[in-house]
Amino acid sequence: MDTFIQLTIDALTLGSVYALIALGYTLVYGVLKLLNFAHGDVFMVGTFIGYGVLQLLGGAESPNVPVWALIPIITVAAMAGCAILGVVIERFAYRPLRDAPRIAPLISALGVSFFLANSMQLLFGATPRTYNAFDLGNGELYFKGFDIGNVRVPLLRIITIGSAFVLMIALYLLVNKTRTGKAMRATSYDREAAAMMGIDIDKVIRFTFILGSALAGAAGVMFALRVPTTAAIGFVAGLKGFTAAVIGGIGSIPGAMAGGLILGFAESYTQGYISTKWSDLVVFSILIAFMIFRPQGLLGRADIRKV
Amino acid sequence: MTDSTPHSSETPASGPAVGQDEWVARHAERRLIRGGPLAPMEERLRAVPWWVWLTLFVGVMCLLPAVTASGYVRRVAFDTVLYMMLALGLNVVVGWGGLLDLGYVAFYGLGAYSYALLDSDQFHVHLPAYVAIPVVVVIGAIAGFLLGLPSRRLHGDYLAIVTLFFLQLFQTIATNGDSIFGHNVTGGAFGIFTVKPLHAFGHNLVVQHQGVFAVTYYFVALGFFALIYVALRFVNLSRTGRAWRSLREDPLAAEAMGMPVNALKLMSFAFGAAIAALTGTIFASLSASVLPLTFYFVLLITIYTMVILGGSGSMRGVVLGALVIGPLLELLRDPNKSRIIFYVALIGGLVFAFRRSRRLGIVVAATLAFGFVCHAIAGALHHSWIAGSADGGLQHVVSYWLIIPKHLAGWIPPVSYVGVICVALVLTLVHGRLRLVLLPPTLYLAAFVWDNVMLTQPDPARYIVLGLILIALMIIRPNGLLGERRVEIV
Amino acid sequence: MADKRLEIKGVSLNFGGLAVVADLDIDVNEGEIVSVIGPNGAGKTTLFNLITGIYRPDAGDIVLDGKSLVGLQPHQISQRGVSRTFQSLRLFLNMSVIENVMAAAYGNTHAGVFRSMLRTPGMRREEREIREFASQRLAFFGERLMGYRWDQPAYSLSYANRRRLEIARATATKPTLLLLDEPAAGMNPVETHEIAELIGRLRDEGGYTILVIEHDMHVVEGISDRVVALDHGVKIAEGTFDEVATNPRVVEAYLGTKAAATK
Repeated sequence: MDTFIQLTIDALTLGSVYALIALGYTLVYGVLKLLNFAHGDVFMVGTFIGYGVLQLLGGAESPNVPVWALIPIITVAAMAGCAILGVVIERFAYRPLRDAPRIAPLISALGVSFFLANSMQLLFGATPRTYNAFDLGNGELYFKGFDIGNVRVPLLRIITIGSAFVLMIALYLLVNKTRTGKAMRATSYDREAAAMMGIDIDKVIRFTFILGSALAGAAGVMFALRVPTTAAIGFVAGLKGFTAAVIGGIGSIPGAMAGGLILGFAESYTQGYISTKWSDLVVFSILIAFMIFRPQGLLGRADIRKV
Repeated sequence: MTDSTPHSSETPASGPAVGQDEWVARHAERRLIRGGPLAPMEERLRAVPWWVWLTLFVGVMCLLPAVTASGYVRRVAFDTVLYMMLALGLNVVVGWGGLLDLGYVAFYGLGAYSYALLDSDQFHVHLPAYVAIPVVVVIGAIAGFLLGLPSRRLHGDYLAIVTLFFLQLFQTIATNGDSIFGHNVTGGAFGIFTVKPLHAFGHNLVVQHQGVFAVTYYFVALGFFALIYVALRFVNLSRTGRAWRSLREDPLAAEAMGMPVNALKLMSFAFGAAIAALTGTIFASLSASVLPLTFYFVLLITIYTMVILGGSGSMRGVVLGALVIGPLLELLRDPNKSRIIFYVALIGGLVFAFRRSRRLGIVVAATLAFGFVCHAIAGALHHSWIAGSADGGLQHVVSYWLIIPKHLAGWIPPVSYVGVICVALVLTLVHGRLRLVLLPPTLYLAAFVWDNVMLTQPDPARYIVLGLILIALMIIRPNGLLGERRVEIV
Repeated sequence: MADKRLEIKGVSLNFGGLAVVADLDIDVNEGEIVSVIGPNGAGKTTLFNLITGIYRPDAGDIVLDGKSLVGLQPHQISQRGVSRTFQSLRLFLNMSVIENVMAAAYGNTHAGVFRSMLRTPGMRREEREIREFASQRLAFFGERLMGYRWDQPAYSLSYANRRRLEIARATATKPTLLLLDEPAAGMNPVETHEIAELIGRLRDEGGYTILVIEHDMHVVEGISDRVVALDHGVKIAEGTFDEVATNPRVVEAYLGTKAAATK
């Protein structure tokens, strides 16, 4: 039972990171119908921005700002940095290809992904960078918390899961309740018609990239608070994010959240109960099962073939 | 009876009037007239049948070992031939089938691993080449078919995800395959390193001859390449090839015209996979070992760059792409050659951009002057800033112009690297005089970054170049060097 | 009494609760030219998609020569002898003109991949036959799609010639039933007249049974043996052109009445 609770907490943490990444894919896919392969690498850059800012502020052991302010500061910095990166990528690698054949921006996205991963490798080497989150306030983020049975849920986990959910709810409200959100949904539904209705498509797309990339930045910090980061993590993180988005139904915001959590649970339980090595296989099987039985994903809509 | 176009006065005597089509029909003639004295020669070269070109090409490639005895050069040539085969295989799936297969190199790995299991000390199975190779090809084809099955109803994007995940899965299995139900199958992260060379009828095809790369493998690979090329060309001009291309153009129309789209997709998948697996056998038998990480994202991007650079859909094109990218990646390993390539590319790019206008001269002169000024200022500030030139060659020459510090402060690489990217991106936005003014400092900064940052780490540096080529190609020339310009009506 | 070639029996199709086609019955007899008319959104193209297997009916049956087509894949239906053109041209734009037609011969040719790789004599013979056959199909349109045009990519053709090429491609699947979706759309009056003539020739010389969607009433009047009018997925009239054209429900569907306007 204790193991189960422990694994469930792990699953929620991992799942919320996946969900945040998946949201970025889903948002961009929604408005551009483009699989943004570079998104995983934007996430990776986010982990590094967080690391850099943390070092600037004195590192985890002796930070120049109070601990309660430190995590928000690095998160916001990573979100802002990633948002800028996302906008730059969109402006220079995707916008020129908006009217090109479908395959062109996909390949450009592959190129961007490869470029980002190797640029970070070039500048920061292959050694893993760790936030040393354990040193924050002499480990109180780990020791404090509340108990479920015999299992201590550390404060850090609560913060991570909590802020992920706050971000997701904020995003949901933004897309469904605001004017900008309405413009996004209109663009997603029919870009040309939306343009004719006076919606500034470029602005909407830029805003979408800001949102998606900022979420990836936040996810990056949450991820790197637990695990050391390298320039190579973008590929796998991106892949998992994608898979979550597809399982949940690409284009659907609640779907991306659900997909992320499903993936988190699948991985966590596989690693806990079966083997740490084969979680990829389980996730792949889930993906294939969805492709066969419900290709539109959990909450996606089946599209009608137009002729 | 006329089409409503203004050219109907040019009506030929026979048949009804046709407007714009006539204009299109004469396109070739007009180009001939415009082409100047070289045009008739070009026209004559076009008339040479394809198999003459192929024979010539393979013949020239065969002569290479006669020109150089360097084992290194021969090995690079061998690798390039493998790249050409891989590119041809990917072209079937991407170029003809129009399917974005991101798991392609997993099939290459599958072929290599299958061969490794069929002819190594891993399970002490030693099959002769004439058994092992067909078996591996069939395994590859079946694997491609199986991966295609769940994806058959899916359009491009979903297929891309499933295949990309398959690449990851292959990686997981190869790395963790040292304890599958207690059996060591794949040798884990260290791979299998007892793979035997190809052998048949009691003869081994030796890999090394007195410590130098044996050229026989090169010829074997070239032979397979020629075989694949001919077979693919025949398939392309058959009903299957036409059906593949129809499916790329418009799956729905293809289906309505009686083509079983799903079966054809699977077939193209299996075809590409089989070619990749075949290439894998040759690779494994030569390298004597297989490692999981060989068959990963890096190789995938490399082969995609080859196919896109050459021109997806064109067989000649993708071969050319492999012929350019393969050796280029090799040359970029070495700092001195890498430096030469950089300056050649820089000057080539400038000439291409400005042709023989006066602005070319202005930009070159300004860049040189800018460099000398910077160099002088840096030298006056502190001598160590310009004292970095260690190896001779081009760097020595360049070091009179370029700032090469003895020791780079930690902040310089990230700042200068990000800086050069930002300036380059800004350059694409501005026009006219401003661009001309910004160009020399950008070039100088690029040279600085190349020499001081990129050259210290050849591996990420060459992959960065690959990524940039891919992005730039998609934007500037998506049809590649030899590909036909495609139209798509969305 | 002529043989029934195609029978559409009580076919319905809904998209998310919206009835696109409702309980539709249409028969097409051997050698007949039947026109389907109706305002935009009446379900005409949907009807074609149902027959060719792109959509599957929610209810009812579609029978060709006594055998049901429901549940078959589009390519299987094509091999049963149904071929079509598309309202918004769907040519293989980057393939040459003759290849467009040759590609459509896929369903009634046989050379497999391995025979193609080895270029066996049988495969080469078949290849020659396909080419010969394709050139015959193109020759049907006089000089327009002949000669140098064969090797040009389809995108270089004029609009009218693209429409012709699409018809040529449709006939290359060796169909018995030809579905033409607005063959005269976007053509000038002269070309429209020519298309009308062509459809007649397709029936007389090619021996096809033809179901055609058309908006141009001159074309419909000129070619149709029978006219079926649809509105909102329901058949509102059927008969000769004159009968349908004077039918008050048809007039109402096209022009609206006071009653319709206030509905």
